[in-house]
Amino acid sequence: MYPKETKFLVVDDFTTMRKIIRKVLTELGYTNIEESDDGKNAWPLINQAHQNGAPFDFVISDWNMPGMLGIDLLKNCRNDDRFKSLPFMLVTAESEQKQILEAAKAGVSDYVVKPFNSVTLKQKLEKVWSKHAGQKAA
Amino acid sequence: MPDGSSNPLMDKRLIVAFVDGVSNILNTMAMTPVKPTKPFIEPSFTVIGDVIGTIGMTSKSWRGSLFLCFSKDSILSIIQNMIGEEHKEVNQEVRDGVGELTNMVYGSAKAALNQLGYEFDMAIPTVITGDFTVSHSSKGVTLVIPFELPNGSLMHVKISVQ
Repeated sequence: MYPKETKFLVVDDFTTMRKIIRKVLTELGYTNIEESDDGKNAWPLINQAHQNGAPFDFVISDWNMPGMLGIDLLKNCRNDDRFKSLPFMLVTAESEQKQILEAAKAGVSDYVVKPFNSVTLKQKLEKVWSKHAGQKAA
Repeated sequence: MPDGSSNPLMDKRLIVAFVDGVSNILNTMAMTPVKPTKPFIEPSFTVIGDVIGTIGMTSKSWRGSLFLCFSKDSILSIIQNMIGEEHKEVNQEVRDGVGELTNMVYGSAKAALNQLGYEFDMAIPTVITGDFTVSHSSKGVTLVIPFELPNGSLMHVKISVQ
């Protein structure tokens, strides 16, 4: 599982959802958590953190946000050599097959449909860890 | 497949989609089991509650609005269960919670209804509090689905079709 010092970025236009995700991450022992309220604001944060030598290790993002969609933030990451392997999970109310397929095609690490509970989020984090740890070993 | 000639409010599957969505979301995210009571039609939209989350429902064939109407008692209880914070008034954080709940309810119902051929689009909710009136051109009816919460308070889901 991800080490306790893992640096998370939580992106959602609703404070409530950022609080819920932060609460779950904190209960799992993670304390290095930053937030952004839109993909438009998250992208510069991701770039700045990398430039500062303290890059994000994991992004958890909503899909539907007014300035920049989460799917577009994901595509920005995947199209940038610096972030193409950055673990990126979409946590969203959008549960239609076409959205899930689009996310998979864009290279999402995993997809959580709202509503969700803490057990589901933890399982998804473990699944992403297994996938990325396996890729690094290879 | 639904077409523009039939009123979606007459489709029982629409009621089921919203009842299931609200019940699942409040149970999962707020540990609040709600009990839907008998849906009814009102001739035109009327404001009810202390805070309302609303979202435009747009498809190729219909335009309408979804309203999640909360009394102060209902939403304060839900928010406390959702984020573990007690609020005594409908403040900005509570309004934010209403927005997220509206987002989730619409997302859940949209997914179910789009599988039936409705083709509703994504949208972003708005939250309204205070004294207000809502008016929009309407074909005249609003579907109302009341829900009872364990603390005895009520919330209402309203769907108006233009």
